[in-house]
Amino acid sequence: MLKIQDLKVSIEGKNILNGINLEVKPGEIHAIMGPNGSGKSTLANVLAGRDEYEVIDGSVDFTGEDLLDMDVDERSHAGLFLAFQYPVEIPGVTNATFLKSAINAGREARGEETLKPVEILKLIKAKAAMLGIDPSFLKRSLNEGFSGGEKKRNEMLQMAVLEPKLGILDETDSGLDIDALKVVAESVNALRSEERSFVVVTHYQRLLDYIVPDFVHVLYNGRIVKSGDKTLALELEEKGYDWIKEEVDAATA
Amino acid sequence: MSIITKDRDRNTKEWIKTLFHSYEEGLNGQKGQPITAFRKNAFDLLMAEEFPTRRDEDWKYTNVSPIIKEAYTLGKSSKISQSEFDQFLFEGLDAVVIAIVNGVLDTELSNMKSMPDGLKMMTVADALQNEELAGRINHLLDQKGGTAKNVFLRMNRAFAQHGYVIVSDKNAVVDKPIHFVHLNTRSEDSYFSHPQMFMIGTKGSEFSVVESYHSTNNDAKYFTNVSNYIEVEDNAHVHHYRLQFESKNAFQITNSIAIQARDSIYSNYSVDLGGKIVRNNISTEHMGPGINTYYYGAYLGMDNQHIDNQTFIDHAVPHCESNELYKGILSDKARGVFNGKVLVRQDAQKTNAYQQNASLVLSDTAVMDAKPQLEIFADDVKCSHGATIGQLDNESIFYLKSRGLSDEGAKNLLQKAFIGDVILNFRYEPIIDKILSMVDVKLSKK
Repeated sequence: MLKIQDLKVSIEGKNILNGINLEVKPGEIHAIMGPNGSGKSTLANVLAGRDEYEVIDGSVDFTGEDLLDMDVDERSHAGLFLAFQYPVEIPGVTNATFLKSAINAGREARGEETLKPVEILKLIKAKAAMLGIDPSFLKRSLNEGFSGGEKKRNEMLQMAVLEPKLGILDETDSGLDIDALKVVAESVNALRSEERSFVVVTHYQRLLDYIVPDFVHVLYNGRIVKSGDKTLALELEEKGYDWIKEEVDAATA
Repeated sequence: MSIITKDRDRNTKEWIKTLFHSYEEGLNGQKGQPITAFRKNAFDLLMAEEFPTRRDEDWKYTNVSPIIKEAYTLGKSSKISQSEFDQFLFEGLDAVVIAIVNGVLDTELSNMKSMPDGLKMMTVADALQNEELAGRINHLLDQKGGTAKNVFLRMNRAFAQHGYVIVSDKNAVVDKPIHFVHLNTRSEDSYFSHPQMFMIGTKGSEFSVVESYHSTNNDAKYFTNVSNYIEVEDNAHVHHYRLQFESKNAFQITNSIAIQARDSIYSNYSVDLGGKIVRNNISTEHMGPGINTYYYGAYLGMDNQHIDNQTFIDHAVPHCESNELYKGILSDKARGVFNGKVLVRQDAQKTNAYQQNASLVLSDTAVMDAKPQLEIFADDVKCSHGATIGQLDNESIFYLKSRGLSDEGAKNLLQKAFIGDVILNFRYEPIIDKILSMVDVKLSKK
């Protein structure tokens, strides 16, 4: 599904990622953890195609294609979805209208028949119901005046509607109370399937109580310095990141 | 006045004079009726007044010379089929339709008989024969509005062929709007027309009037000079839509002058997509406490379009509120103007006055002049104004593209949303849908 090899990325001349290697197979959930400034969000945003980052070296293969060669929208058409840490507010366009445009843009790009407004509305409503989202949500302007929890829920709704092959959650849990966090986790679990993979970027172990990952990776100084299963997350919760930093710093000293 | 301006005014008045006399002669049937004096008085005033120049503060950004140098003819009726006409209606909107084709009423395309209970409509000529209504019309005509040197009001009164008075019954709440469809079908010669309305919202009533302007021919050159007078009595609410989709060579000047009594609401919804030179003057005077005034305006200028909104709210009494939201997009060599005047007089304590104007300027050659003008003489008030001029937000573009929209699709959606932020405040979904789809069409022409 996703194969990252020796990915090196800088922003404004400053190296952020210093050689990332990661392989995600269909159906897997990978958690990326790490202290602040370790490069977690950079990884998520580079995968989504944000252009202020410069890829210096390395490659990213997504379903057999060169991801780094694709424009932002092409990545979406190919089945990649980034749930934003800070979703953008766009007053003046309703959620429903926005989703309609997004769905048909993807279908058109993939050479599929576009859906009629009625069909789309039905689809969106079904997905909203699946995630326990009130239909009135669809008539509101995109993220305008939404609470932090509502915005993240809306990201989940978009993901459910666009049915990506790979969902990347960029610190989706940051700033959420436990109820909102559960909603996000339940949405991911509802979308979990054998074909669909997730990369969950998070600073806190708490989210992983609800989204149980297959693999946990620790990012530090732009490298994956430790990988393990879900018990690694628990260990991090208990001991913090300092012991990992010390290990790494000792090894590189 | 400079020699050039003098020459301009003299030439303009010459053709106006000739035209007015032949117009008067053609109206023999109305001889002796009050409407004749009504027109003649206005004509005399018009002859005595000066046309504005850019040296006049209120006309600083808009040069009316291209509009008035043309010797226009009067509107002439022409036939258009029902199906051709229907495309200018709002699909799904149940409305009383008044069809004005090339400045002339078309009774076949209109359905005046479907007037809902609670509303009455008559011509200005008829209303002037009723002493009470004549008094109210004259009172409204005395209102100065917010724009100095406004000869266009007099020009409208001298030449208006189809002026209407709309009066609601006390406490009548009417959902079905009256829709004046002004359609141009001509292309060869230029003419001017003068839509005119007096809306009277009687105590406790609520109703909506929609005026929309269209052309079957996007190159046609003509001038539409609109006057609206609105009186909103105690606790009444008048919704007034002005939706301007004229041809790209058309001129339009609109004056809307409202007076409001205590606890009343006047809502003005204005959209400018068409027109070459467009000037929209709107003003409201508050006469009693507890009043709300809403102005919503959206504009989308391309090519050489010039769209100028001038607003004025006169807070003369305490405990009133006004809200203005104007948003627009300018590209190519288009020019936009927003001059928002708010006067809070010394007695108008506890006033809340909010004004917001935001524009996207998407080319190096497009220009926006935003001029908020707040004069506050009371000390216990909440007033705010914001004028922003910017470009499309890159983060928003990235967000939309990450959901699969193309670069162009994302930019179009953002522009539509920018305008939509104003349009979504409109009350009728068929109107919202049509405007947004027209915005879509205009944006995708790029």
